[in-house]
Amino acid sequence: MVNALAPDTTGRAAHGARSAGAAVDVRGRARRRQVGVAYLFLAPTLLFFAVFLVLPLGFALLLSMSRWAGFDLADIDPVGLDNFASLFADGSTFLTPILTNTLLFAVGTVALALSGSVLVANCIDRLRFQGLWRTLYFLPIVTTVVAVGNVWKYMYEPGGLVNGVLNTLGLGSVAFLQDPDTALPSVVVVQAWASLGSAILILTAGLKSIPESYYEAAALDGAGPVTVFWRITLPLLRPSLLFVCVTQFLTGLQSFALIIVMTRGGPGDATNVAALEMYWQAFSHGDWGTASAAAFVLFVVVLVVTLAQLWIFRRKGEDA
Amino acid sequence: MIRRRFPWLSYLVVVTGAVLTVVPFLDMVMTSFKGPGEAGTLPYRFLPKAFDLSNYRAAIDQLDLPVLFRNSVVATAVITGSVLLTSSLAGYALAKLRFPGRDFVFRLVLSTMMFPPFLFFIPHFLILVHWPLAGGNDLLGRGGAGLTVSILALAMPFLVNGFGIFLMRQFLVSLPDEVLEAARIDGAGEFAVWWRIVVPQTKPVLVTLGLLTFVSAWNEYIWALLVSTANPDVMTLPVGIQLLQDYVDPTRTMPIVMAGLVLSVLPVLVLFLLLQKYYIRGVMLSGLK
Repeated sequence: MVNALAPDTTGRAAHGARSAGAAVDVRGRARRRQVGVAYLFLAPTLLFFAVFLVLPLGFALLLSMSRWAGFDLADIDPVGLDNFASLFADGSTFLTPILTNTLLFAVGTVALALSGSVLVANCIDRLRFQGLWRTLYFLPIVTTVVAVGNVWKYMYEPGGLVNGVLNTLGLGSVAFLQDPDTALPSVVVVQAWASLGSAILILTAGLKSIPESYYEAAALDGAGPVTVFWRITLPLLRPSLLFVCVTQFLTGLQSFALIIVMTRGGPGDATNVAALEMYWQAFSHGDWGTASAAAFVLFVVVLVVTLAQLWIFRRKGEDA
Repeated sequence: MIRRRFPWLSYLVVVTGAVLTVVPFLDMVMTSFKGPGEAGTLPYRFLPKAFDLSNYRAAIDQLDLPVLFRNSVVATAVITGSVLLTSSLAGYALAKLRFPGRDFVFRLVLSTMMFPPFLFFIPHFLILVHWPLAGGNDLLGRGGAGLTVSILALAMPFLVNGFGIFLMRQFLVSLPDEVLEAARIDGAGEFAVWWRIVVPQTKPVLVTLGLLTFVSAWNEYIWALLVSTANPDVMTLPVGIQLLQDYVDPTRTMPIVMAGLVLSVLPVLVLFLLLQKYYIRGVMLSGLK
């Protein structure tokens, strides 16, 4: 309420001063007024960052080094690095299979989405109605993860579409999500399917920026389409490829909503990933300490990838 | 010219890919019309025997769909409104006003984009549950459900968006100062300058940001799941539908789940098709998603 009244008061004060004829240092007053207004405009944002960014980061760090039952804030029991140690202790499932799954999930998604989007983006670039195609490929992105996950889960069922197609081709049914060997790749396919649209979009923009004259020169030299793709398209598309690759990898490392919806991490730990393990530890076992420690370990992995990304892009900038 | 060779091959690839993209959605729609015992049984059939609308009525009844819908709408509206307002105000301040600490605040905004969302699920949840003097809590945050009793808990962690502020700021930097100065000389206060000049000038960006925020808020799952675990009254559409799918026999209820999903996907799909130009630009700008 105080904030809402403040601009009114300053406005009235300034108005009063002007009508009194004291127009000496209007500029200086305007400057000073700007400082107040600026912080007023920023107040909700700064308050939000204090409560929902700074405070949580500190709280999470505190929790990662404590044991706590979750009721009384006075009962937080500091245990140093014990939570981290237990994550990497013998017999812990955190390193294998969970962290390994996380990397496999991210790498698998990037590999599938990248190769698929390069292929499709290249082909779309030669066709008419490009907007229509891009819109179609975009549908999964605007859809909730609950819809995507459930539709695919149902399609993977013995009586679902995928097995229906396999049976029509004379092949036996596969228990995609129930078999520990196929569960992770099956979820990877869905994540890649869902992220294809944005990758295609960014790559199409990259393709559009390659000058047509390069292709004409190549045609005059008698280069075939394969040579043109490897010698012209791919090298000139490198910045877009790199961007898609790194952002998808970061997204892949952090994803777990799709996995909750489709497999809940199972069977066993076959599709469990670090962010999901954090979620289980906290909200199923009430072990806030271990959960927060797991979150920070994953954060370090994400941070390293982000810094590598910045480094790569800076180097690329120097090349150009 | 060489780009245009082998058009049939390109068509084959693009159409195959498009079919693979659309078929799951068609399967969802088809299944939502299937009768009892028709879904998930062998041999697989794509089309329903008859287009049975009863699943939609069942979804509306069993899921308490109007309540879920209301919760989703309120949370999405509050988030979108707040993000647009705070991004525009803060973006304007950072781009066009002079004040000490501006660089620091801008760097703070940039740094918020570096922190991955999963890092905040636990502390946000605990902070809301243990909020002092709210929802029956005492001064130390004990005893009650804290702020999770409110439907606003669904929106709280998303009320301000660092990317939104960054986007507005970048766009406003290129707005000529003369326009703003002219208004100030005419006696307009900063609030009037913001409302009468900055907001109209940034309408396309606001639509883009609003649409991005709307879609991600409508589709949000994990946070809504956590909040509704503490307070089932604030369950949203995705959470409610997932709950139905988790606890009942899949072959019988699958068509009902699919009907619920169709209803939950429809509003976003319509909005996307109407305003896809803005949405696609937003994805290009944010690069992620």
